Amino acid sequence: MMGLASYLIISTILFICGVIAILARKNIIAILLGLELILNASALNFVAYTRFLNNSIDGHIFSLFIIVIAAAEAAVALAIVLRFYQIRETVHIDDATQLQG
Amino acid sequence: MFDLTLFFISAVLTVIGAIMVITTKDLMHACIYLLASFLGMAGLYLTLGADFVAAIQLLVYVGGVVILMVFAVMLTGGPHAQKQNKFGMIKTALMGNIRTYTIGGLTAVVVLLMMVKLYISIFKNYTAGELPNYLPTVERIGKSLITDHVLAFEISSVLLLGALIGAAIIARPRKNRIN
Repeated sequence: MMGLASYLIISTILFICGVIAILARKNIIAILLGLELILNASALNFVAYTRFLNNSIDGHIFSLFIIVIAAAEAAVALAIVLRFYQIRETVHIDDATQLQG
Repeated sequence: MFDLTLFFISAVLTVIGAIMVITTKDLMHACIYLLASFLGMAGLYLTLGADFVAAIQLLVYVGGVVILMVFAVMLTGGPHAQKQNKFGMIKTALMGNIRTYTIGGLTAVVVLLMMVKLYISIFKNYTAGELPNYLPTVERIGKSLITDHVLAFEISSVLLLGALIGAAIIARPRKNRIN
């Protein structure tokens, strides 16, 4: 029951939920939530393969670095969102048009 | 038996949380469902024997990232939130319209088929052999971090410093507003 397949199915569901959140939502913060889901799905895949295919510890290291990078990315992205809200008073993704040519 | 119970509870928590993140209407509720999903993910890490990764997941994601998200949601409210932008949409609109959900659903179907194509050989050919026992991983991770992966370890410290300074500089309030 707790085989490799069930973990892969769970991470696939998480990845698809993240993709739908990125494509379908209109709020910038909701898009960031989808991004976190995708990063978590990849980290779960690394740990699951470490358990079932080889017992090397490198998968855990990769998973830890994914978590570190996700934390840094969330901090910078939310700072950008707050700055954008201070300037334009909106968090709608269609309002971010200042850099359009 | 204990493992199986933990696995089921964690899997249900993770999947339900992830699905509710994309279907709930309130952004704060979406953050809380994301918290539930991350908690379930920590349980899944525990069933995989990755105790250190589970602890870091709890510390960084549940204690840090989600709280950051909740603060961002609270700071982007206010009296302007219900006004409409130039496209006639509410400025803190959360749900997309039917078109964006159609695009998202179609992309999800494509991604799902791609994943099935990738995983079908694994599902057919993989047979679970004798799984190793659960061992504490902290010592091995520590040794590996300062021997094999020491360059990535140091670079990630520089990355975190850069992210800290960058976030502080970007989010700093300024006097002159650009409109």
